[in-house]
Order: sequence, then C-alpha cells, then structure tokens
Amino acid sequence: MAYDIQTWVNLAAFIGGGLAMGFGAIGAAIGEGYTAAQANTAIARNNEHAGEIFKSMLVGQAIAESASIFALVVAMILLFTNFAAQSYITIAAVMGAGLCMGLGAIGSGIGSGFPAGEACVGVARQPAMSGRLTTNMLIGSAVCQTPSIFALVTSFILLFSDFSANPASPTWAAILGAGLAAGLSAIGSGIGGGVVAKASCEGIARQPSAATPVTNIMLLGQAITQTPAILGLLVAFILIFRGYPASEFLGPPMALLAAGLCMGFGAIGPGIGEGIAASGGVKWVARNERVIGDITRSMLVGMAVAESTAIYSMVIALVLIFVV
Amino acid sequence: MEELGKIHQLIVPLFGHNMVFNLEVILMTWIVIAILIVFGVATTRGKGMLPGSLQVVGELFVGQLYDLTEDALDREMAKTYAPLIFALFLFLFLGNWIGMVPHLEEPTKDLNTPLSLGLMGFVIAHYAGIKSKGFKAYAKEYFQPIFFMMPLNVIGELAKIVSISFRLFGNIMGGSIIILVVSHLTWSIVFPPFLNAFFGLFVGAIQAFVFTMLTVVYISVQVK
Repeated sequence: MAYDIQTWVNLAAFIGGGLAMGFGAIGAAIGEGYTAAQANTAIARNNEHAGEIFKSMLVGQAIAESASIFALVVAMILLFTNFAAQSYITIAAVMGAGLCMGLGAIGSGIGSGFPAGEACVGVARQPAMSGRLTTNMLIGSAVCQTPSIFALVTSFILLFSDFSANPASPTWAAILGAGLAAGLSAIGSGIGGGVVAKASCEGIARQPSAATPVTNIMLLGQAITQTPAILGLLVAFILIFRGYPASEFLGPPMALLAAGLCMGFGAIGPGIGEGIAASGGVKWVARNERVIGDITRSMLVGMAVAESTAIYSMVIALVLIFVV
Repeated sequence: MEELGKIHQLIVPLFGHNMVFNLEVILMTWIVIAILIVFGVATTRGKGMLPGSLQVVGELFVGQLYDLTEDALDREMAKTYAPLIFALFLFLFLGNWIGMVPHLEEPTKDLNTPLSLGLMGFVIAHYAGIKSKGFKAYAKEYFQPIFFMMPLNVIGELAKIVSISFRLFGNIMGGSIIILVVSHLTWSIVFPPFLNAFFGLFVGAIQAFVFTMLTVVYISVQVK
C-alpha cells in the first residue's frame, strides 16, 4: 500500500499530539504533588488555618496546571486540525511542534509547584501574611510559566507557518531542531524559576517586613533565570527563519539538528543553576535586609557566571548553523 | 484563526533597499503615547498642596518608581535616570494593557518595539558606565578574569539585549496567541474574560515591571 504525503502528515500529527500531551503531563503532576505534600505538612502544623491552607493549595495547583493545559491545547489542535500537506517539511513541523510543547511544559509544571507548596507552609507559619503570600505565590508561579509560553509560541509558529517554498532536505532538520531547542531549553528555566519563587515565599513568611524587597529580588532573579530559555527561543527562531540552500548530503541537516539539540540540552543546567543562585540571594535578603545591595550584586555576578555555559552552547549552536 | 501572525506593512523602496513600516504597530504606539500625554497633563494640571484624585494617582506612580530607582542607583544618579525609568514603565504598562480593548493591539507584540527599547536601555547603561568609571576602567572589565575571555564577555553583554527584549515579546505574543486560540476552540464562551485578565492584566503588568527593573539593574551594574 502506497502512502502519499498527506497520510504521512496525518500520522505525524497523531504522533506529535501524543508526544505533546505525554511529555506535558510529567511536570505539572510532579509540581502539584509537591504542593499537596507541603499543604499536608502545613495543615498538620497549624490546624486552625486548615481552610486557608487548603484554599491556597488549590489556587497554587490550578496555576501549576496551566503548562499542562497549554500542552493539551496543542495536542487537541494537532489531533483535530487538518494540516494541508505541502511537502515533507510539514511532517517535521507537526512532530516538532508536539515535541516542543511537550518538553517545554515539563519545567514550568515542576517549577510552579514549588512556590505553591512553600506558600502553604508560609500560611501555617505566619497566618497574618496569607494575603501577601498568595499574591507573591501567584506572581512567582505566573513568571514560572514564561518558558512554557515560549515553547507554545514556537510550536504555533511551526504549526501555522508556510514552509512550502523552502527546499525539503535541510529545512526539515532545521524545523525539528527548532522545536527541540525551544522545548528542551524551557525545562531548566522553568524549574529554576520555581526554586527562586519558593525561596521568596519562605522569606516573606519568616520576615513579613521585608515583603516588598523580597518580591522585587524574586522577579529580578526569575527574569535572569529565564535567559537560557530565551537563548533557546532565539536559536529556534534563527533555525526557522533562516533560508537554506537545497542540499542532497546528510551533513547540513544533521548540523542543524545538532544545533537545536546543543542549545536545548545546554540550557537545562544553567537554568536550574541560576535558579539556585538566585534562591540563595532571595532567601538572605529576607533574613538580612540591610545588606541588600551586596547580596544583589553577588547574586547577579554569580548568575552571570552560571549562565556562561548556556552562552557557550549558543555559540556552538550558531557555529553549527552558520559555519558548518 | 486566519489572522494569526498577519500584519499590514508599508514597503517603501529607497536606493535599492526596501524600507518596511509596520503600520499597526506605529499607530498603536502613538495611541499609547497620546493617552500617556493626556494622563500626564491631567494629573499635573490643577496641582496643589491638597491633591485631587488624579494628582494622587500620579504622585503614587512617581513616588513608587522613584524609590525603586533610588534603591538600585544612588540619590544623585536617581535624579538623572528616574524620569527615563518612569516613562519606560508607563509606556510598557499601558502598551501591554491596550490589547484588552477590542480592535487595538499591543505594540509590544511586535518584536521591533521591545528590541528597540532593549537597545536603548543597553546604550544608556553603557554610556552611564563609561561616564562614571572612565573608559579605561570600563574597557578593562571585558578582560576579566583572563584576556582571552573577551569575546565571550562581549557575547554575554549582547545576550542581555536579546534576553530582555525576547522575554517581553514572547510573553505578550504568547498571551495573545493563547487568548486567540482558546477563544476560538471554545467558541468564545466563558473563557475569554479570564484569559484576558490573566495574560492581559496580570502578566502584562508583571512583564512591564520586570523590563523596567532589569533596565535599572543593567544601569546600576555598569555604574558600580
């Protein structure tokens, strides 16, 4: 039985939908489980405020779930949209979109569970601050979602762009590589952002008078923690929008695929590492607010050093794209 | 769904090159600027010791952002840079919120706007660094810790422009795509107001603040 391109595109869309939801379910479940565990601890410690703790657990879990919901949206689109088969590139595009969103949802799901759990413990420790803690948790969790939003943007660009004018041979690899770069690089930054937000919820519960500087430092730390994911997004955009000459050899496609993998894997570690660096800063601003200037400076320098490995990966990825 | 990613462009040929104008972005930017000018005039018009309600709002904005600048930079520097930070924040804040109004779009949704604002912050930060430390001390920092790290330090600095502008662009663009797609999938029943509240109001305000604060921090890192 002979298969035409349209059949292959439909098959790839099913695989992509499965991958999107399968990978996308990993992170949020872990994050929500952590939140529930911390809520149990909190209720056991301070049973009088069980109602409030339960409420903030549910709110936190709802936010932690949003990365998975993005994956669900992409999976539904992949399953129920009829993609017009233009060339073999469409096969790579639908699979790449699924992979990108699935992988990209892992980090944000795990990460946004951390602040939610710590906010529950914080409400038990300092019930008077529960309003401020919930606000801080919401801000922290919302910023945690940013890497998964980047993955979503990339997968929508892959799904709805018209690649029919491009030569099939190296372009399929560039498309798949772009999905991998954006998806994998979102993992580290998602988890790292969660670690930072967790430290800030803990800090506010311990030292309510330092709430404003702690929230500000948290936002700063989370924003810089996202840099590896943003570099991944940049490499994905370059891979998608750079035109390639047609090639019959296997070298150029493999180089483009390798560029995506290099940037994606290279961004996981720096994302988590920068999150840990920033969480130390946030934690100690709450405990010793007077030295906020020194803490911020050493935090920023430390994060810049942790980020350098992501920059090495980006340099190698760009060399693979433009030179090889 | 068909309007996803489509923009109106005015293409003017000039000496063999094409100059491209994104008309909607320019129009939206000017709408934001016009609203801000009206807001500024309205808050300062009848000012007195006994503030009216609009003047209180204006004083609140100025006071908060001035404190923020003063925490990161010192008192003298804050006098120079606070107006810039204030204008930047208000522009981004209103720019991210204006997409809530039907038929209007966020100017920050187009990469050109965040990228040019990021470039502006970068140039100002480095200008401030050279002015306060002198060119020699400024240039010496690129050769830390060893001289051959220079190219990577330069790339690291340039990555800051990319990260600050793509962060804003990705969030606003992603938010508007999610609103569009989910509204389309659910036939615009129940979901759109909540999505608009979360991605428009909440994420828009946070990202405007993050962009502003990073610009302040980039200046303060260069100065110290």
